[in-house]
Amino acid sequence: METLLKPTLYTSEGALLGGRCTCGHVFFPMQGHGCEVCGRHGADLQPMALTGRGKLLSSTVVHLHADKARATPFTIGKIALTDGPVVRTLLVDPVQQIAPGTEMVTALVPVGTGDDGSAILDLRFKPEH
Amino acid sequence: MARTLKDLRPVYVVGVGWHRYQNPSDTPYVTLGVTAIREALADARITWPSAESAYVATALLGMASGRPMLRHLGATGIPLSHVENASASGSTAFRQACIEVASGLTDVSLAVGVDKRNPVRRDSTGMDNLAEDAIAQFTHFSLLTNEYAHRHKVSFEDIARVAVKNHRNGAKNRNAQRQQERSLDEVLGGKKVAGSLTALQCTPIGEGAAAAIVASEDGIKRLGIDPGRAIRVIGSTARSERVYAAGLGFDAVLTKETTEIALQEAQVSPQDLDIIELHDAFTVEELHYIENIGLCPEGQGVHLLKDGALDIGGRCAVNPSGGLIAMGHPIGPTGIGQIGEITLQLRGEAGARQHPKARTGLAHMVGVGAVCYVHLLQRP
Ligand SMILES: [Zn+2]
Repeated sequence: METLLKPTLYTSEGALLGGRCTCGHVFFPMQGHGCEVCGRHGADLQPMALTGRGKLLSSTVVHLHADKARATPFTIGKIALTDGPVVRTLLVDPVQQIAPGTEMVTALVPVGTGDDGSAILDLRFKPEH
Repeated sequence: MARTLKDLRPVYVVGVGWHRYQNPSDTPYVTLGVTAIREALADARITWPSAESAYVATALLGMASGRPMLRHLGATGIPLSHVENASASGSTAFRQACIEVASGLTDVSLAVGVDKRNPVRRDSTGMDNLAEDAIAQFTHFSLLTNEYAHRHKVSFEDIARVAVKNHRNGAKNRNAQRQQERSLDEVLGGKKVAGSLTALQCTPIGEGAAAAIVASEDGIKRLGIDPGRAIRVIGSTARSERVYAAGLGFDAVLTKETTEIALQEAQVSPQDLDIIELHDAFTVEELHYIENIGLCPEGQGVHLLKDGALDIGGRCAVNPSGGLIAMGHPIGPTGIGQIGEITLQLRGEAGARQHPKARTGLAHMVGVGAVCYVHLLQRP
């Protein structure tokens, strides 16, 4: 058994739970507040599963972090998703140098164990090849 | 048809003052604030009852901090507003004071910024996020540093030279939080925070205060203020972030569109600028912003830096105060402190930091949100 840490944001297949406006703007995460491009809301915003693939714009190894629960070093990547949005989050490898332009893909990694003994998975990115 | 600041009544900075920016201490914010205001009043050679309105810029003091401070100057009953706009709080308060005077509603208005290093509190938008808790401001700017270095084939050592220049300027500023010159080796050798960013390439968030008094020509005449020391505010422009193409840095694009409007409205070209005070919370920002303000093409900022063109005495003195890296960044005061430095420079009163023949200055501030503020000041 496995549990997702943030099931409102991604699926167990590594798809990102975004949305699309009737104006064509694709965004992440899904929200109903309103479209950042045109202001439409409600039924004009529909859920859209994003592929979880994209190109690395930049990454950096973080050496210092105020929250001790998050052990350093870790690496943050900024990824332009194939579907449009840019996301920033943790990469699987905490210290690997990855060249900008590298094709990236989502991966689920265990980050803890739930009360029922099941693994808790969180989403990261890693190079596709 | 909307009008620009330049179309309204002329507005001038007539008094500036500070409480030194410093590491967090037991000093009450009231002491910080009244010290800066009294210095600005003394600089203008006027007294508190001449101020007709007050804008208090603060991001971290909590609700209604202004009146418990201002009452110690004598409770004159003037209108008082609090302005919170992240790093741009001070710039925003200054703009509101300028607009009020330019509109004719008041002749003399005060903008004061004051802050202590309290925790930042931001309410939830109701939307979850992947790992925003892991992305500090320095991590955001480390990502931009790596992007800049890669795209323009620039070394991290050269980017760090921004800090060497700004620490050198701050060493000559009695109001700076950091007043010590630093060699490139010292800057690079310090504690690494993220990627190539070291502690001395990042702003030390601290506490302090800055004040600026603005006045109309009527106010200057009526109060007998020396018009020879009054610096005109020839432009004030504010923008907030739009949706930009993937891969464009919003801080830089927002700076570009805000500055273009400001320069055009004031009919000033980037080559006319003698002084720039800009938001260098992290070294790479200075390069991004001078390029987007239009001092040089994108990716060429390091050449100007290494040629000394951005030094005091160079082509355009950038952050002669020491900038956010050395002068410091107590949040509420920062944007008003920039106005103070430019005022000193344009009057020729900047002492050891004086840039020769300074006539036109630009103050630039970005704030989380993101927002961007640009002010243009000129010696008449
Ligand atoms: Zn839309």
